Amino acid sequence: MKKIKVRTPGGKLVIKRRKERPGVTLCAMCKEPLHGTKRRIPSKIKKISKTEKRPSRLYGGYLCAKCTKELVKEKARMI
Amino acid sequence: MVSLEIGRVCLKIVGREAGKICTVVKKITEGKSKSQPFVLITGPKLLTDVKRRRCNIEHLEATQYTVSIKEDASDEEVIEAYKKAGLITKFNLKLPSAGEMKAEKTKVKEEKPKKEEKSKDKGKEDKKDKKKK
Repeated sequence: MKKIKVRTPGGKLVIKRRKERPGVTLCAMCKEPLHGTKRRIPSKIKKISKTEKRPSRLYGGYLCAKCTKELVKEKARMI
Repeated sequence: MVSLEIGRVCLKIVGREAGKICTVVKKITEGKSKSQPFVLITGPKLLTDVKRRRCNIEHLEATQYTVSIKEDASDEEVIEAYKKAGLITKFNLKLPSAGEMKAEKTKVKEEKPKKEEKSKDKGKEDKKDKKKK
């Protein structure tokens, strides 16, 4: 829970609690939201198994499938 | 795009084997696959962790290298062809030990009869017996 200070109409400072919602993970190259990754607070993401956190692909959880495809294509031409 | 003839060394682009090296063993042209061409590939699995499987051509990217093999060659023949072409040192691959090669052979022989033993009728019979008791 996240603590937020709010000033009420009576002039008091009140602390309210709101749920934290972490942002969506984005592809590092095209900045589009990734599939197969979970939105959790860091303390709760520890409890998830590794296979649930990211797809088991090259650069899984960091780049999207389209970007990896183009990266590997370039690599094949360089070899 | 370079044509994918037999013995062409490729990289897989899509899926969990993305970024790994494989070789084309056979061309498959049957039924539906005429419009969407498929190809039989192997790593071989002991060398590059790519299973012997059917693969869509769009999921492959050809490299400039080829290996001299027959059509439908076994994994051992492909490994020897890699040695002759000198690609193992080029790609920094690890050669499998003799023990691993033997284990792979025995695996294939053992797996086939197991599948035949597991029939659906057996499972049904067991459930019926439990109900009667």
